[in-house]
Amino acid sequence: MTSFKLTINGRARTVIADGETPLLWILRDSLGLTGTKYGCGHGVCGACTVHLDGEPTRSCQVTLRAAEGHAITTIEGLSADGSHPVQRAWLEEDVAQCGYCQPGMIMTAAALLHQKPLPTEEDLQEAFADHVCRCGTYGRIRKAVKRAAGGVR
Amino acid sequence: MTRRREFLKILGTAGTGLVLGLRLAAKPSRAADPKEAFRPNATLAVRPDGTVKITVGKVEMGQGVRTALPMVVAEEMDLDWSRVDILTAQPGPDFMGMSTGGSTSVSSTWLPLRRAGAAARDMLKQAAASQWRVPLEQCRTEQGFVLGPGGKKAGFGSLAEAASKLPVPAKVTLKAPGDFRLLGQRLPRVDGLDIVTGRAVYGLDVRRPGQRYATVLRCAVSGGQLRSWDQAKALAVAGVQAVVKVPTGLAVIADSTWAALKGREALAGSASWDEGMARDFDSQSLESSMRQALAGPADPARTVGDVDQAFKVAARSLEADYAFPSQAHATLEPMNATASVGRADAELWCGSQSPNRVQERAAAALGLEPDQVQVTLPLLGGGFGRRLGTDFSTEAAQVARAAGGGPIQVIWDRTDDFTQDLYHPPTLHHLRAGLGATGQLTAWSHRIAGPAVLRSWSGGKKNPAQASVEANGALDIPYDIPAIRVDFAEVPAPMTLGWWRGIQIVPNVFARECFLDEIAHALGTDPLQLRLRLLGQQGKVKFGRDEADLRRLKRVLEVAAEKAGWGRTMPRGHGMGLACHAYDGRTYGAAVAEASVAEGRLRVHRITCALDCGFAVNPSGLEAQVEGGLAFGLSALWTRITWEKGRAVQTGFQDFPLLRLPDMPEVRVHIISSSEAPSGAGEPPVPLAIPSVLNAVFAATL
Repeated sequence: MTSFKLTINGRARTVIADGETPLLWILRDSLGLTGTKYGCGHGVCGACTVHLDGEPTRSCQVTLRAAEGHAITTIEGLSADGSHPVQRAWLEEDVAQCGYCQPGMIMTAAALLHQKPLPTEEDLQEAFADHVCRCGTYGRIRKAVKRAAGGVR
Repeated sequence: MTRRREFLKILGTAGTGLVLGLRLAAKPSRAADPKEAFRPNATLAVRPDGTVKITVGKVEMGQGVRTALPMVVAEEMDLDWSRVDILTAQPGPDFMGMSTGGSTSVSSTWLPLRRAGAAARDMLKQAAASQWRVPLEQCRTEQGFVLGPGGKKAGFGSLAEAASKLPVPAKVTLKAPGDFRLLGQRLPRVDGLDIVTGRAVYGLDVRRPGQRYATVLRCAVSGGQLRSWDQAKALAVAGVQAVVKVPTGLAVIADSTWAALKGREALAGSASWDEGMARDFDSQSLESSMRQALAGPADPARTVGDVDQAFKVAARSLEADYAFPSQAHATLEPMNATASVGRADAELWCGSQSPNRVQERAAAALGLEPDQVQVTLPLLGGGFGRRLGTDFSTEAAQVARAAGGGPIQVIWDRTDDFTQDLYHPPTLHHLRAGLGATGQLTAWSHRIAGPAVLRSWSGGKKNPAQASVEANGALDIPYDIPAIRVDFAEVPAPMTLGWWRGIQIVPNVFARECFLDEIAHALGTDPLQLRLRLLGQQGKVKFGRDEADLRRLKRVLEVAAEKAGWGRTMPRGHGMGLACHAYDGRTYGAAVAEASVAEGRLRVHRITCALDCGFAVNPSGLEAQVEGGLAFGLSALWTRITWEKGRAVQTGFQDFPLLRLPDMPEVRVHIISSSEAPSGAGEPPVPLAIPSVLNAVFAATL
């Protein structure tokens, strides 16, 4: 067990844990940030997506040790009141069904729009190719990303 | 009139405002508990501060019941929607019918919720009229207020206490649909903000003081038993506290999820299992048994006319076989439950579609009475029928007891979720049609062979309804054919089976609707025209206990075809295909798919779907169910579960390629809302996806 210093949602946090623990479980079990979801543990469903220095990253594939020194943003840090343009677009398009995969989808959408304010259909397909929504909300995700496009700084 | 009093009861005590308990006179349904009809299972409370609390007796798994059901109450009560708080009930004597499945939540509660809302509204109005000493007829309600003559106005909250002392009206008048303000509106999901901010709590997000985490090492082969193990390596993993034996295997108790997972990994190699009878089971042998069963004896599900004679005199006959592979539910949130067990009480936090059964079975496993087990329901990260099972909740209770009480969260990892599913079984279908000299369809036979879900669900016993349940979607073939035989040949298989979104209707309608296109092709007839002709002038037709109004089916077929531009010229390599079905005689759906095949790759470009499920309570939620239901069906074009050496071969999303965004077609939904009572929409779109797409592929590759 070692002590690690993380920067999560702009706040410094100290965690004492095995450095090989995936960031996902540190967020969920050690820090109580349960908005980041477990879906597969293999980086193939996208439910655990967070931002690492702005890059969409599967938190189940990053160890605690590797996360140190990077700016980590989770769904809780996007905005607590749902005011981020992507969150607003998600509400306006009434995207969520069960909602479990949505924090990961939203984090990917926010990163995509930050990098490409006006994404093409190909950009969308590439960004969401490794995300699973079993409820099948993909059509509304497309609409919500397009709605939010241009509204993300 | 007295019957009304039976379903509404004042529950509040002084100072709590007006609290009404409702008994939902639900029609017994496939998924519902028969006791449901006689128990209250919703409450509504008008608090003195004017807010209204509605407790929903169904669980939210993405289908929108926490939005739709309160809308129904709020409409009749004339509530201010922004001042409604929505709670999910806990199972128990007040909520006996929480089972959520079979697309029945709205249909089974529609009238009772409306009556309850109307009764509460009348009581509040009466309270105001008495207070103001004015005739009742001069009072009306609007947005949470009673309005009286001369500008009198009183909020529901200020009237709640007085209203609670009045008798529940014996007779209420429901609003005319033309007066609806909320119902029929596109209201967003009430849980939306919590979901997009990450605040929504699912089963895996439950955090109790002192909570520990556990994983369970189970036998990979169904029915296998643990022989021996060595816990030393597991206990050497940092964070692992104990290894305890439970009926399903060995539980690794740890201070974090990660330690519980690592501990189990360390334990796995040391465990030795008696894999039992199922260790030689594989998909190949199952398929050859099913193939044999296509020609062997079977249980009749429905027979019309003299089928053998009809085939004998037919000018010609057509035959085709269809195969539908086994499927997993693959909810994004894997199975899990959190349990805390004391000597005479227990608490469970668990996303379940069968809350009452969770309570009963956990109680039985712990030697407690159901009322000693409290069950709290977070949101469900997907259900699709998987969470009708109670295997994971009972196991969590057993783990907590074995580990000294808890609270312990038992988490299934993705592999557990795939390899310990309650599977949708594979089926083979043999279809045969007899044609008359002028091309009319004179005989129809549909043989289904496969393992029986209902037997697995009934603890291995054959249920008298087995053939009709396994043939749902086949026996209710809507087409006017003088001789019909639908039967089911059961093939034993060792895996545990369960209900999957759309149940057996999905494979059965797939085979039926694809075969119909084969017939159309053989006859040189347009598939739409053939269906319309076969639906003919039929009105209401009874299929077993269901009755379908086939005029409504014909209508959705015509609408879907028209909106999709049926018959227009398609680009080379593209085709259009359609499918329709009257789901349980309640919901009518038709879909037209546009698909292409290029370089061996199937692409679905667009699906146009028309759905008639009676009155559309919330079109946004309803359309979401159609979009999602079609996506759920489409996934099964690519996914399958197979078995080798008694084990499920597919262990996760990497080898179970569910539909993803790049392959999601454009979906156009046309809701045909009517004044008929609402039926249901979660399952009905699912069976339309595969046959409409495959018929489009057939058309594209002719």
